[in-house]
Amino acid sequence: MSSLVQRSQVTADQVIATETQPLLAAVNLTVESGGTKVLRDISFTLPHGRILGLIGESGAGKSMIGRVIANQLPRGFAVTAGSLPFEGRDLLALPHHEHRELLGRRIAFVPQEPTGALNPAKTIGQHFAEHLKRLDVPKAERRNVALAALADMLMPAPADVYDKYPFQLSGGMCQRVLIALAFVSKPDLVIADEPTASLDVTTQVHIIGLLRRLQDKYRTGVLFITHQLRLAAHLCDEVAVLYAGDIVEYGPAGPLFRRPRHPYSRALDTANPRFSGAWQPLSSPPGHMPGLNEFRNLPGCRFAPRCASAIDACVAEPPALRVVADGTVMRCIRDDAVPAAESVAGVLQPVGANAQSIGLMQVQNVSMTFHSGGLFKPKAETHAVKEISFSISAGEFVGVVGESGSGKSTLGRMIMGLERPTAGQISLDGVPIGHTAAEWRRRIGIVQLVFQDPRSALNPRRDVLNLVTQPLQSTGHLSRREMRDRAEVLLQDTGLPKDVVSRLPHQMSGGQRQRINIARALCAAPRLLIADEIASGLDVSVQAQILNLLLRLKREHDIALLMISHDLAVVRYLCSRVLVMCQGEVVESGDTETIFANPQHPYTRELIAAVPPEDLTRNWTQLGAVG
Amino acid sequence: MFSDAGTAPLNARNGVVPLRIRRVLRPIVATGYRVATVAIQLLIVSIVVFGILRILPADPLAMMLPPNATNEDAERMREAFGLNRSIPEQYAIWLGHTLQGDLGSSIQSRLPVGQLILTALPMTLELVFCGLVLGVFAGFCFGLITFTWRGTAVEKAAEVVASLAQSIPEFLWGILLILTFGLALHWLPFIGPIDAKMLVPSRTGFLLIDTLLAGRWDAFFSRLTHLTLPSIAIMMIKAPLIMRLLRSSLVETYTEDYIDSARLRGVGEMRILFRHALRNAALPTVTLIGVQAAHTFGGTLLIEAIYSLPGLGNLMIGAIRTHDLPLIQGITLTYCAVVLLLNMLVDLTYLWLNPRLRAT
Amino acid sequence: MTTWRRHPVLAETRVLIGAGILLSIVAVAALAPIIAPHDPNHQDLLRMLVPPFWKDGADADFPLGTDGLGRCVLSRLIYGARVAVIVGTVVPIGTALLGGIIALVAGYCGGWVDWSVSRTVDIWMSFPPVVLSLVLMVGLSPGLRNVILATILVDWTRFCRITRGAILGLMKLDYVSSARIAGATHVQVMLKDLLPGIFPIIITLFSVEIGIAVIVESVLSFVGVSVEPHIPTWGVMIADGLVTVFAEPWGLVLPMMAIILTVLGANMLGDGLRLSLDPRLASRPSLEV
Repeated sequence: MSSLVQRSQVTADQVIATETQPLLAAVNLTVESGGTKVLRDISFTLPHGRILGLIGESGAGKSMIGRVIANQLPRGFAVTAGSLPFEGRDLLALPHHEHRELLGRRIAFVPQEPTGALNPAKTIGQHFAEHLKRLDVPKAERRNVALAALADMLMPAPADVYDKYPFQLSGGMCQRVLIALAFVSKPDLVIADEPTASLDVTTQVHIIGLLRRLQDKYRTGVLFITHQLRLAAHLCDEVAVLYAGDIVEYGPAGPLFRRPRHPYSRALDTANPRFSGAWQPLSSPPGHMPGLNEFRNLPGCRFAPRCASAIDACVAEPPALRVVADGTVMRCIRDDAVPAAESVAGVLQPVGANAQSIGLMQVQNVSMTFHSGGLFKPKAETHAVKEISFSISAGEFVGVVGESGSGKSTLGRMIMGLERPTAGQISLDGVPIGHTAAEWRRRIGIVQLVFQDPRSALNPRRDVLNLVTQPLQSTGHLSRREMRDRAEVLLQDTGLPKDVVSRLPHQMSGGQRQRINIARALCAAPRLLIADEIASGLDVSVQAQILNLLLRLKREHDIALLMISHDLAVVRYLCSRVLVMCQGEVVESGDTETIFANPQHPYTRELIAAVPPEDLTRNWTQLGAVG
Repeated sequence: MFSDAGTAPLNARNGVVPLRIRRVLRPIVATGYRVATVAIQLLIVSIVVFGILRILPADPLAMMLPPNATNEDAERMREAFGLNRSIPEQYAIWLGHTLQGDLGSSIQSRLPVGQLILTALPMTLELVFCGLVLGVFAGFCFGLITFTWRGTAVEKAAEVVASLAQSIPEFLWGILLILTFGLALHWLPFIGPIDAKMLVPSRTGFLLIDTLLAGRWDAFFSRLTHLTLPSIAIMMIKAPLIMRLLRSSLVETYTEDYIDSARLRGVGEMRILFRHALRNAALPTVTLIGVQAAHTFGGTLLIEAIYSLPGLGNLMIGAIRTHDLPLIQGITLTYCAVVLLLNMLVDLTYLWLNPRLRAT
Repeated sequence: MTTWRRHPVLAETRVLIGAGILLSIVAVAALAPIIAPHDPNHQDLLRMLVPPFWKDGADADFPLGTDGLGRCVLSRLIYGARVAVIVGTVVPIGTALLGGIIALVAGYCGGWVDWSVSRTVDIWMSFPPVVLSLVLMVGLSPGLRNVILATILVDWTRFCRITRGAILGLMKLDYVSSARIAGATHVQVMLKDLLPGIFPIIITLFSVEIGIAVIVESVLSFVGVSVEPHIPTWGVMIADGLVTVFAEPWGLVLPMMAIILTVLGANMLGDGLRLSLDPRLASRPSLEV
């Protein structure tokens, strides 16, 4: 019997038991800052022992809800309407000390950044000791209680972990410690704010699995905040989709995931690259979620500017919540409204290079070894990259997948020439390339790298014109007029309006910055683009825009791409060929579809298993909880 | 199934030496490493000092000779000090003597340089110690106060006072304190290390300790009152720095996730400040004391002159006015040695406070 | 707010006050021969230790009184400003150039270049600055030029250490690599991408260094190894004033106030510039939910 069926039976019992007194509810909650409604009229109900998912891109206000519950709104923000009954007692009306009494005992939090959420100067044991002391556990028992809680998290050696400092543990281990800390008081409510956002995909499954296991064991109510719709569909009983401070759609997870109704929920769905089924172009609404300072210009439906079905009534006043199906409500006045979509003309599925095409770039037995240690430390060798060989043909899109520390970024930097391989050879157009000044010029004429974080890659003091024409400045003697013309072409190529030309990086949105970053690389007219996780910091809808942009560039400029990414679905969408890297080695490579459909190496299988499947009946969340 | 099972690869090497032995060895190795570094640094410092005094244009001989000296006197002097040899040779000879503990004799007083320095050093150390303790104490108090009341008038007032305090160099603070608390108000004495009528047998050279050893409470008290003004002068310069740094690193620490995380576990604000934030926020402050060590010692030089304290600073000023080269060299080296040792102590404290460094 | 104060730097009151104080001192120094009532070295042994005008027994001829040798305190203060201005201008330029260039090269090149620069700075900083400048003055012999030289040789390390730290911070950002990939030469990267990034720090350090230079000169004067004996400086006035403090404290207090005012002006300018030029404060990102 599938887990979904099991779960719905359980929840049916629950509903009867808790109908009268929900664990937590939000009733018309409104948060304002400087006269702007940051959260508008938020209402939801979380019964005992259930999981409610809050889904939204960055800026949707989903973390703000966690902060309201914690009574820790940032300065200048205040709840101006509504209530937040926790088992009938309004959390907003509780005196400060009574509210604090609940924290850590009956309400617990699992944070976003596990490594930062533990005090670096204290051991794991000291964290537990402090917490257990507060929970009035006698001193003699504290250690055993802590070890039991750690063992509950399926840690291989709890006693070892107990004496360690946070920096001696991996991110995944830190998150397990934090979940153990959260559940040690057997709380009624756990708020998990993107608990896996900073972790590797394979770790994510385990963390989700463990969370689910403990939630199940203690019948805890969980408020699960995430930006991943599919992940939420697997884990949660109900989900609420947030957009710019509004709950736009709210209902049972499965139906909402299978048939989203609100145009924004649909946009989330169509912008998300799929990991199974036939390839189809992603479609996403133009633009991005409005920022706080734009809210005041959007008195009505805040999604209206990006919605194809918007009418005058949408803009006039905020739409009311209305019931659209059993248990599902949405905040849209139109039936079957659809989001606006950027043109997908020129976006074609990448196909493998034809056999005759000349090799643009070859990597032969390239290695990168770091030597560490010295007089007082044992010598150690770290193999960041171990004997990798592959080639890219003109116009071919190749993906490199792997988790953090797999050496995939080092590989990209070596091809770019930013790091020198300790062994092996890289050739461009069949000619080996070294590190002399002349070879450097040849290299940057052929290869360009787009860095992951445009905030760091764009000099904050240069304006857009200056940034995108940077490659022309060192060599050419172009006039300002010619530079401007070139810049306008590049901006058009990357889908940016002309008027951004005099802006500074911090005056633009994340997606626009990433486009500038790409435009600069294109200015040198490269034939190979190396893209290091360039879509991973972006929201789903913006990510789709960037991915489509890359496919369009391929068609228009016949550019080749080396896409470095941890996201298998992104690589599947873009690349005809893929390399799977693990600890510096390529463990498997070949045609993308073939490898993802029929992985041979156990590591590839593990990676693929970690992706939440489209099919909700597959028992994905229990994958990790198996020791 | 557990790809991230176990801990970070950091501890993968633990197999080489048993963990328990490594725990004991580690601080010893770390200390030894630092002592060796200090020794090398001192050697280079000595070369620099020697170089400045021998290579730069001024003729050491002319400086050392009395104005009425004859050519014969000059020649005798040249030989006596080995100045007829090449500079590296001179250095080698000087280094050889120094390593045997012989820093030469003062030209002015004919007394051994080493003995002069050893007599003067405790006075300076006592002053630096008291000044630093006062400065750190005041800095921490005001840092905590301005942090707790950040964004209010309290912080602004403290900030104005700190800016003003920092704009006045130590020796001017010394004079200002004399003018106000000494001359105008007659609250505190300001001449000499202790009441001139009190004689205390010298055992350690540190007057605070000697007076206690002799059981002379009146002398101890007199010493304390004499130390107060010069120590405050040093404090006035140190405290604002420490206050500002502590406050800003507290502000930074409070943006860390683990503070929020502790709060979400229901930990009280006082406990968060003193048990979670302060220890981490104090780390840059500790470093600052190390970085500032040289400044602190330099600051005592004029303070000693102003308060007529027979410490290294006064000795140095006397040596400079009389061009007493061996003494200048010896004192400069002593200053550097003390600064480097203090740096080392701060380094080790940092190591002890910061588990991240200790473990790796 | 008036239009000329629109620029963030000019909108900062501390910058205006600090610059105002420093410019006034420069004006006084430049106009010294015109505004000083007496020759600063002229001794009037009949009128020694005359108190300033607000006290009994004052002499209209000497508005701020005379010192122990009967020299006009006001004239000596005015002429003393000249040394302060020269030292306070040349020393910051020298330290900024020396320390800044070394830091730029060390931070950009990294590797052994950086290592050796850092070790040199470490060694240099183990000398108490006062002690090192005194020893240098012994080696160099007194004189205004040597005072400037010695102060630069002592203080370049402060500049170098802080600037190097800032450059290492910038080097962690990808925009340096980006510029290289875009074809910029090493010198272009240093001048176009790194230098503008550390400019606020250099400006701030520069203004703080003005105060430090004035202090160092006064310390050297106080010990008696600074400029030639016939040049009046504030430090010499303090040393002289300390001798006669019991008879007439104002001869001591006035030059102290001159030094404190200068340092205060420099520090205010530095603080104000730091706050208004800091890009983290200037380009505050919009509020995020």
